[in-house]
Formats: sequence, C-alpha cells, structure tokens
Amino acid sequence: MSKNALATRVAVTAVALGAITTAASAADFDWKKFQGKTVTFLANNNPVSAALLTYKADFEKLTGITLKVDGYQEQQMRQRLVTVMNAHSDEVDVFMSLPSREGEQFAAAGWYGDLSAMSKSEAAADYDLAGLSRALLKAATFNGKLTSMPMNIEGPILYYRTDILKKCGVEPPKTIKEVEAAAEKIKACDSAITPFVSRGLKPAVAYTFSNMLHNIGGSYMADGKSNLCSPKGKEALDTYSRLLRDYGPPGVVNYSFQQISALYRTGRAAMSFESSNELRTMMEGGERLKDTGLAPFPAGEAGQVPTAIGWGMAVSAFSKQPDAAWYFVQWATSPDIQKRMAVQGIAPPRPAVANDPEYRKWIDEQPVRQQWQAALDVLASRGSSEVGYPIAANPESRDFIGQAVQDLILKQKTLDQACADADKGLDALIAQK
Amino acid sequence: MNSTLLSETLIRRLNTAQLVLAGILIMSPTAWMVLSSFKPSFEVTAYPPTLVFSPTLENYVELMQTTPFFSYAVNSLVVTLGSAGLGLLFGIPAAFAVSWTRISWPAVLALAARMAPGTLFLLPWYVMFRQVGMIGSYTALILSHAVITLPIVIWVLLPSFDNIPRSIFEAAQVDGCSITRVLWKIALPLVGSGIAVAAILSFVFSWNYFLFALVLSNGDSKTLIAAAFNFVGEGSTQWGALMAAATLIALPPLVLAAIVQRWLVSGLTLGAVKG
Amino acid sequence: MTYAAYAVTPDRQRAELATLSAPAVLFTLAMIAFPVVYTVWLGFHTFSSTGRQSFSGVGNYSRLVADHEFWHGLWVTLALYVLSLALQLVLGIWLALLLFHAKRLPGIVRSLFISPFMMPPVVAGLMWLVILDPSIGAANYLLTRVGLPPSDWLASPLWVIPTIAMIDTWQWAPYVALIVLGGLQSLPPSVYEAAQIDGASPLTTFRRITLPLLLPTIVTATILRSVDLLRFFDIIYITTQGGPGNASNTLNIYGFRVGFEFFNIGYASALMLTLTAIVFGVVLAFNRLRGAVAW
Repeated sequence: MSKNALATRVAVTAVALGAITTAASAADFDWKKFQGKTVTFLANNNPVSAALLTYKADFEKLTGITLKVDGYQEQQMRQRLVTVMNAHSDEVDVFMSLPSREGEQFAAAGWYGDLSAMSKSEAAADYDLAGLSRALLKAATFNGKLTSMPMNIEGPILYYRTDILKKCGVEPPKTIKEVEAAAEKIKACDSAITPFVSRGLKPAVAYTFSNMLHNIGGSYMADGKSNLCSPKGKEALDTYSRLLRDYGPPGVVNYSFQQISALYRTGRAAMSFESSNELRTMMEGGERLKDTGLAPFPAGEAGQVPTAIGWGMAVSAFSKQPDAAWYFVQWATSPDIQKRMAVQGIAPPRPAVANDPEYRKWIDEQPVRQQWQAALDVLASRGSSEVGYPIAANPESRDFIGQAVQDLILKQKTLDQACADADKGLDALIAQK
Repeated sequence: MNSTLLSETLIRRLNTAQLVLAGILIMSPTAWMVLSSFKPSFEVTAYPPTLVFSPTLENYVELMQTTPFFSYAVNSLVVTLGSAGLGLLFGIPAAFAVSWTRISWPAVLALAARMAPGTLFLLPWYVMFRQVGMIGSYTALILSHAVITLPIVIWVLLPSFDNIPRSIFEAAQVDGCSITRVLWKIALPLVGSGIAVAAILSFVFSWNYFLFALVLSNGDSKTLIAAAFNFVGEGSTQWGALMAAATLIALPPLVLAAIVQRWLVSGLTLGAVKG
Repeated sequence: MTYAAYAVTPDRQRAELATLSAPAVLFTLAMIAFPVVYTVWLGFHTFSSTGRQSFSGVGNYSRLVADHEFWHGLWVTLALYVLSLALQLVLGIWLALLLFHAKRLPGIVRSLFISPFMMPPVVAGLMWLVILDPSIGAANYLLTRVGLPPSDWLASPLWVIPTIAMIDTWQWAPYVALIVLGGLQSLPPSVYEAAQIDGASPLTTFRRITLPLLLPTIVTATILRSVDLLRFFDIIYITTQGGPGNASNTLNIYGFRVGFEFFNIGYASALMLTLTAIVFGVVLAFNRLRGAVAW
C-alpha cells in the first residue's frame, strides 16, 4: 500500500466518519416528528414576516407540517389576537408579538406559551440559542419565562441627505444638538426642503422619543414615579417637540412611518429619525440610494443609549400542539433562515449572522447598506428595549408621552403644564397593578 | 310662452352645470384611486402629484400573484349574496308588517345591532360561533353580515310601503286575499324602486364590511376586503397594489348599481300605478 | 284616523302580521342577546393591567362619569355627528334631485355619481390621508397652484373635525342621495303635473310638494346615517387615530383603543354600552318624528 493510497483511505474514513457524526446528530433531531400536522401562524404584515414567508415551502418540505398563514396589518392582527386569546381558543398556534410593547401585559394574562424549556431541549443541534441577541431574549423574558424568540432587530436611526447637507455646508450630525444646528442651517439655505422629520402621531411618538430621552440622560421612571418633569425629561420633551415644530413639515402631528418615508423618498426632507426597518421603503424607487447617509441615533449628554427592539415569535398558551408550533418557531429563528432573511434586508438578531461572509458581501454591495449595518451594530451592542414606560400598561403610557409632545408642537400647553399633565396620568397608570 | 321656454332652457343648463360640478367633486378622488392603481407604488405618494405617467399593470399582476384574489372574491360573493338575500327575505315581510300595524319596535330592534359598536360583537360572537364549530364557515359570516343588511332593508322599505294607499289593500282584502298574499301579489310589485335601493345598499354594506370577517373567518374563508389589508403594513404599504385591489373591489357593487339603477329609473314604480 | 280601523284587526290577521315580522325579530334577538348580556357583564368587572378580573359593580360607570376623556369624546362625537349629518342631508338631497332630473344619464354614469360609498372605508381613509397630507398631498398642491393658502387639514386641532366631516360627506352624501332617489321615484307624477299647471316655480314645487312627500324617506336616511355617524370609526382610525392630541377622539375610537390597545375590556365595555344607549336614544327620537311625518 502506497503512502498516497493510505492517505486517501484515511481521508475517506475521516470524511465517512464525519458524515456519520452529522448524520447521527441530524437523526437525533427529527424534523419530521410532526409530519402531517397543521400549524397556524398569525402574522403581522411587515417586511420581517414577508421575508420569512418567502421560505414557507422549505419549512413544509423539511418538516411535513402544513403552515397556515393568517396575515394582517398590525392593528387588525392585534384585534384578532386579543379576541382569540380572550376566548382561550386554540385557533392560533404561533403569533408575532412585540415584547417591548405588549410583552408584560400578554405574559401576565397568560397568553404566551413558555419557551424556556423547549428552546433548550427540543432544539436542533445547530439552533444556537446562545447566539441570539441577549438583550432581546432578556426583553422577552417575564418572570423567568421566555415568551418569544427574536425575529429581527430594529431601532430608530438617522437618515440624512448627503447632497443637501453638503450644499448647505453642514457636517453629518453626531449629536442631538448638531441635528438642531444643522436643521437651522438647512432651513436658511434651502426653504423648499423640510429640514427634519420624525414621528409625531400620538401613539407613534414614543418609538423615536424614547431614544432621545435616554440619550439625553433622562429616564421614564424614578422611585416608582413618572419622571417626565425632571430637568432631563423636560429637556427631551422640549427638544423633540421644538425640532418638529420649528423644522418639521406642517401636519407632523399625524406623521408616522408612512408619511415620513413618503416625504423622505420624494426628496422633500433633509434629515429624519426613522426605524432601521424602513430602509427599503425609504429607498424605494431608487432615487435616494445615491444621496442618503445613515447614522446611529445622535448622541446626547448621556452618549448613545440606542433603542433596540424586535418582533418576536411566540407560541400561544392555548395551542393544542405547542411542540409542533415550536418546530416552526425554531426553524424561523434559526441561524440559517435568519441569514437568508438578512440578505433581504431584515437585520438579524444574531451577531454571528451579522458577520457571516455571505451577508457581508450583500452589505458591501451598497454604501447605504454598510452605514445601515454600522448603525445596527451600535444598536445590537448597546441597545435598550425601553419604548415607553416599563409597566404592564405600556401601550397606554405611550399615549401620554405622545400627548405631551403634541401639546408642545401645537403650542397648546407650556412645557411645565404638558409634562405635569402627562406625569399625573402616568402616575395613575403606574399605580394600577 | 317664449319666456317659459327660455327659462326652461336656462334651468336645463343650470342643471347640467350643477351635474358637472357634482360629478367633478364626487369622482375626482375616485379617479385618483384608479389612476394610482396604474402607477408604480412609490409614485402614488410622489410630490408634486404626477398626472402624466407611464401606466403599468404591475400592481394588478402583483395582486394576482400574491393573493388568491379570485377565491377570496368567491368568498366575498357567497357571503354578500347570502347575507343580502337573508336580509331581503326577513326584511321585506317585517317592513310590510311594521308599515301595516304601525308598531315600530321590530324595526327599531332590528336596528339595535347597528347601534352598538361592531367591536362589541367580536368576542361574544367568536365564543358563540366557536361553540357550534362554525368559525371559518360561510354560515357564520352570512349570519353576522345579515345583522347589517336586515335593518337597511327594513328601513329603506318602510317609507315605500307607507306610500301605498291603504285603499288598494282594503280592496284586495275584501276580495278575500290574506295579508301575506297582499304583500307578495300587490305590495311588492309596487315598491320596486325601494327594493332596488335596499338590494344595492345591502350588497355594498356586506361586501365592504371587514370587522366580523376578521375574527369569524380563517385563512380560507377570508373575504376580499380583508385581503386588501395585506397591502397595508409597517415598512410595506404597497400603495399601488392597495389601489389596484380597491379598484377591483369597487367594481362589482358599481356594476350591480348600474344594472339595478335602470330598474330604479324606469321600472315598476309606484307612480305609474298611482297616476 | 285609519289607525282606529286597524286597531281592531281580527286575531287571525294579527297572527299573520306577527308571523311576517317574526323571522326578523327572532333572528335579531338570537344574534344580539348573548353579546349584549355578555358586554353588560363585562362592564361590571374590572380587568387589571395584569389581566386579573374582579367584580366592580358600577365602578366602570363612575369612572366614566369622572373621565374627562369620555366627556370630550362625547362632545367630539356629537359635533362630528351634527356637522356631517347636516352636510350629507343637504348635499344628498341636492344630488338626488339632480340625478332625478337627468333622466338620460346612462346607468354606469349614474352609478359613478353614487360610487364613493362603494369604496371600502379603509381605502377611502388611506386615500384621503395621502391627498390631504399638508406636505405631499394633492389637495395643498392644487390650492397653492391656484394661489390659495395651503391648509393643515387633518393635522390641525381646529380643522380636523370639519375635514373629517368633509371626507365623510364625500363618501356618504351619495348614499343619502340614493335613498332619496328611491323615494323620489315612488312619488306620483300627478303631483308635479298639478303644480306645473298652477305655474309654480321649481323651488316652490320642491318646498311645497316634493319635500313634504319625501320627508319619510329623508327620516329613513337620517336614521340610517345617524347610527353610523354616532359610531364614527374607520376614517378617523386610519387618518388620525383620534388626534391631533385628542381633537378627533370620538367615543367609538376611545372605546376601541381602551379595549383593544390598552386591553381594559371592562371599561371599554362600559364605554361601548353608554355609546349604544346614546345611539338608541337618538334613533327613538327620530322614530317618533317618523311616526309624525309618515303616518
């Protein structure tokens, strides 16, 4: 036997052994365990679910499970969910949820199935639970129960027009103060353009405002009380509303992502705080690709405390087949699928995926994508998921924040009045238990 | 003589002018919708609004590719025809009885379901229909939509029945007709225009009603209007596809109205009999 | 007077009449009895933000009386109701008369005249949201092109209610027109001929003859519009969600948000039942009026 032949044999054996071990671990995990079952997925129509569902057929092929998708716009989806859950119906097996918004409330109502055990013992070998963003997992954990698996990571970032900034002699702003200074210059230099835009619609304000509050160094609560009238709280309210009043578009009090992306896309806004998730909408039509710069949410006195949230995938507590439902959840949040979603522009909640060569290649195709990923890296590493008050009545707390900001934009109240009124309502909410 | 002729032409011209004005006010938003359905999505919200553009069918293509549009349309049609039919079936005799007896509480009661916010019914109906295993069935949707069509039929027909002179009925009764016979043989043919209006309205209301389908249907029995929501959402509002869906959704009621209106204008109206 | 004659209907006739309305009555009862009882029950309970539920008697209702947002919502609801109803009745009757006299208009064109209410409300709301956007909307573009000042439309606390009333009127005046058109068709032509012989002006004919004969139909349109207007929801939810601030926060919007966004089902039930009672009161009032003009 020649040396070469031996080497070949050893190599072959090694390959064969390797093949056996992978086969063994694959056999350990039986994807076909729930073949023939039907899992119903209540989805929110957004880019995240859209990207995921392009691989629906793969899931059905892999598991033999039929996936029934019921997709609605966010409010309608929640309305359906609340009805189904209140009736303790098993009609929905898996649903999308925003832990930062409704997590505490849904968890207390007992609507989430507990994923803590299944995510460890019932997961495929390559699931890599530890690879998911720790901050997002923590945000989805209530009373020690893991309630949903992160599908994506997102947060407000700064979109700006490089050409306009250049024309007006402004450097891309790094701090909130610089945003205001830039807006002032742009207003003077080009009256046809809206210098700055951000969310102004009452329930939507908290998403972008929270980031500003945290960057300025404020907090929503102190000693169990609402803290909007603290100097930092007032500064945040004042700055946010002043930016929108003095430099925002008329009618900004009705603005949410829809109007903001339309305004920016048509080239009528110079700077905007908007969700990283909106990149695709902001760039639609291709006009803005060449003149857009992206940056993390500008810093305040407390530096950068970015807001990082994500949609989660939860198993209903009333599902009759939580184990089959979990199979869908783990498939959908697996490294492989999240990598495939990433190249469709869904920021992965897994740092490892963000460093994947294939994904990097996609990122490097456009400078805008590079900046986008850089901003997301800041989000992922330093993000806080606090949007609105960290209480069960979080959705309602967002209304008070939005109301205060709107009162100031419309000059219906003084700063002291607006924050005091908000604090009063919020203290009552906090006291509700 | 001459002066009356002159003023008649003047009146006719005034009428035409008013008609044109009303037409512009009413139809320009609708035209905006239809035009938008032929624009690429991002151009729908372009500023300044584009009037001249190269029309595209991509929205319609996308609509057909991403949603089982026709099977949803079939769902909508079944539910709408079922509930409008049920509304007419129950509503016509009830309206006649109320008009005859002048005891109006059945009409008010039938309207009761329209007095409460639709959301009030969501959870109870969900529980109710689940108990009997009818979630996702056409029956559940037809029954829930009939709650909307029934009061419309009753209330639209009430004034029509009221307008029929009692003497006609009394004569028939003297001839030995039962009340039911009076209704079908004499009253019904006299309220053609009322029935035309009731039918159009029932159809439109049921066709466009979204809320009950949200919880009572499942993926398979989804109605067209619920499917239109697929194009609205964070980061993904597809204006073009939405407007295309809206244009197609508005077509069946429009065609129905066109057909029924001919009946409404020239058909079996009371005037002909009364005169 | 004829009423007396029918008050002495024989038993058989009365039974027959009861049979005619029975299906409608029984069907309605079957559909609404459980929801109403259930909602009343919910209204007597509080659901804490952690989902726990406890009996609270009239707690939700005393909260309601003290709730500034409720009274504000009631005011918004009524303001929007009165404004929209008035506009829709006047313009609806006007449109009906125009269409009635334009007999040679082809059916499809007549359909287009009444088309707005056939548009799904959601789509109508989204469409107007784009058209009326102060910065990127077509409305302000047109205004500024003809030299008029732009408006903030839905974004102004002062103008939001008139703007919503305008949108709703665009959509629902044609609906009133259709109902009135049906009424006009059923009027005997003889009354017009008599008036023409008398040489009455069109306006006099309308005021003296058409309008009184049309009143029952108009009351029907009023009642049907009232039940929908008092529960105003779709357009507002899509365009402003009750804003700016709470300037367009109608009772129905408020109740919905309390129930489905803040998840306080008990208080939401109390709000919705109160709204239902208000609508019921308005319907009863118009029903009496109906009795006066129709019978």
